Amino acid sequence: MVTFEHVSFSYNEEGKEAQIIDDLNFRIKKGSFTALIGPSGCGKSTILSLICGFYKPKKGSIFLDSDLQGTGKIGYMLQNDHLLEWRTIFKNILLGLEIQKKKTKETLQYAHSLLSKYGLREYENAKPSALSGGMRQRAALIRTLVLQPSLLLLDEPFSALDYQTRLHVSSDIYHIIKEEEKTAILVTHDIAEAVALADTIIVLTKSPCTVKEIIPIKFEQNGITREAVRSTPLFQYYFDLVWEALQNEKE
Amino acid sequence: MKKNRNITFLRIFVFASFLLLWQVAADKQWIDSFYFSSPLLLYQQFIHDMTDMSLFRHCFFTLSEFFISFILIIGGSIFLAALFWFFQTLGKVMEPFLIILNSLPKSALAPLIIVWLGTGIKPIILCGISVGIFGSVLHFYQSFCNTDPERIKLIRTLGGNKVHIFTKVVFPGNIPLILSMSKVNIGLALVGVIIGEFLAGRQGIGYLIIYSSQTFKMTIMIMSICILCLLSALLYLVVNQVERFILNKKY
Ligand SMILES: Nc1ncnc2c1ncn2[C@@H]1O[C@H](COP(=O)(O)OP(=O)(O)OP(=O)(O)O)[C@@H](O)[C@H]1O
Ligand SMILES: [Mg+2]
Repeated sequence: MVTFEHVSFSYNEEGKEAQIIDDLNFRIKKGSFTALIGPSGCGKSTILSLICGFYKPKKGSIFLDSDLQGTGKIGYMLQNDHLLEWRTIFKNILLGLEIQKKKTKETLQYAHSLLSKYGLREYENAKPSALSGGMRQRAALIRTLVLQPSLLLLDEPFSALDYQTRLHVSSDIYHIIKEEEKTAILVTHDIAEAVALADTIIVLTKSPCTVKEIIPIKFEQNGITREAVRSTPLFQYYFDLVWEALQNEKE
Repeated sequence: MKKNRNITFLRIFVFASFLLLWQVAADKQWIDSFYFSSPLLLYQQFIHDMTDMSLFRHCFFTLSEFFISFILIIGGSIFLAALFWFFQTLGKVMEPFLIILNSLPKSALAPLIIVWLGTGIKPIILCGISVGIFGSVLHFYQSFCNTDPERIKLIRTLGGNKVHIFTKVVFPGNIPLILSMSKVNIGLALVGVIIGEFLAGRQGIGYLIIYSSQTFKMTIMIMSICILCLLSALLYLVVNQVERFILNKKY
């Protein structure tokens, strides 16, 4: 669905031109859940911006499937929910539809159905400040989902939450993504989170960033459901594997 | 609650004793009422000017000049700030000029405007505008530029362009600033209009003040100043109510 081939990138800052990404190669399959993990500042957000087309690679190419061409096909969820405080939850969710002029009877209905499905129906006329951190994050996800993207980019969407909420919300969001049958790329600092959610983990090196290791995560194939993974020895095994790979990459 | 009532009572008491003292001092000739007038004289003058409608005419002129200047300051400064925000280079070029013009004593331009435009309503309105516009443009422009880049990124992730960024986050995010700048500009526009009337007015409260100072009609002068006080307090209250209404409503 997304393929990076020998991609290099640098921001054009005045004067200096620091290489951020160097010869990056990976492939993301349709329906998969991939986690990108790497030292902070290595260029993870930059990779997502490249997929979105906010920037063009300096060298190499990025191939996107045809169903990702055109606006609104790639949903991008940022680190904070950025719900606009002057809009109600429902109006916040319609933001993307307004921008893309897709506010029709069907899409409004879809928005309502997502709200009900994920427990926010009674808050649709509330201001964002009335919601808990986890609810806000769900609202932000619905804002992205309502555009019916084929690919979801999640840039540390849980990092603003406390640990317990984070466990709940991340499993919530995992289920929402699986239920809506989306392909997802998750950027995270949290090894446990990556192992618990992803079916592939791409470990990145520190800047300039390349692929250090690609680790396939196989719970379902071993008969373990996602709810139970955290307490299994296999979880610990994968955790150590990722930890090992990241060790040499600490600053 | 009780404390508030006491404070209100004390305020009225202070004001009433001031009036009383003033009247007694004038009656006992501790002060010369030719220069300092007296509450009773003020009241008689007020009734007299109300009955021959001249006071209404003056108030009407000052208020209409004020309203036109005020609307043009707010509208014009939002328009210019938006222009500078859309065309960043233009904004960067103009910013130091705005800073200099804004640090100028606010009334310094008035005589120049009067010389250029002569008498009538136009130069007075321009004086009103000149006092407030530079500061407002500067404030709006700087605040527009300080919009959270993550919010801008949000609009981009939802497929929006620069116009969407302005209409969906930059402008609505600045409505509280626009309202508070409106309050500041009530005072400034009134200052400008009164200075304009000092210099070029044939009618209006400012004209009344200058005319009475030249003819030593101190009662008229003091009355005009009192009316000015009342007008600005009234306008402030109106904007306060408008502000409350807009902020409570989901804009
Ligand atoms: N718009 C930009 N212009 C110039 N340099 C940038 C820009 N955005 C990021 N950078 C630089 O590029 C490097 C990688 O940034 P990026 O945000 O992609 O890293 P990250 O892995 O997402 O970091 P974090 O873990 O902190 O979120 C950093 O050194 C950063 O300073
Ligand atoms: Mg990042």
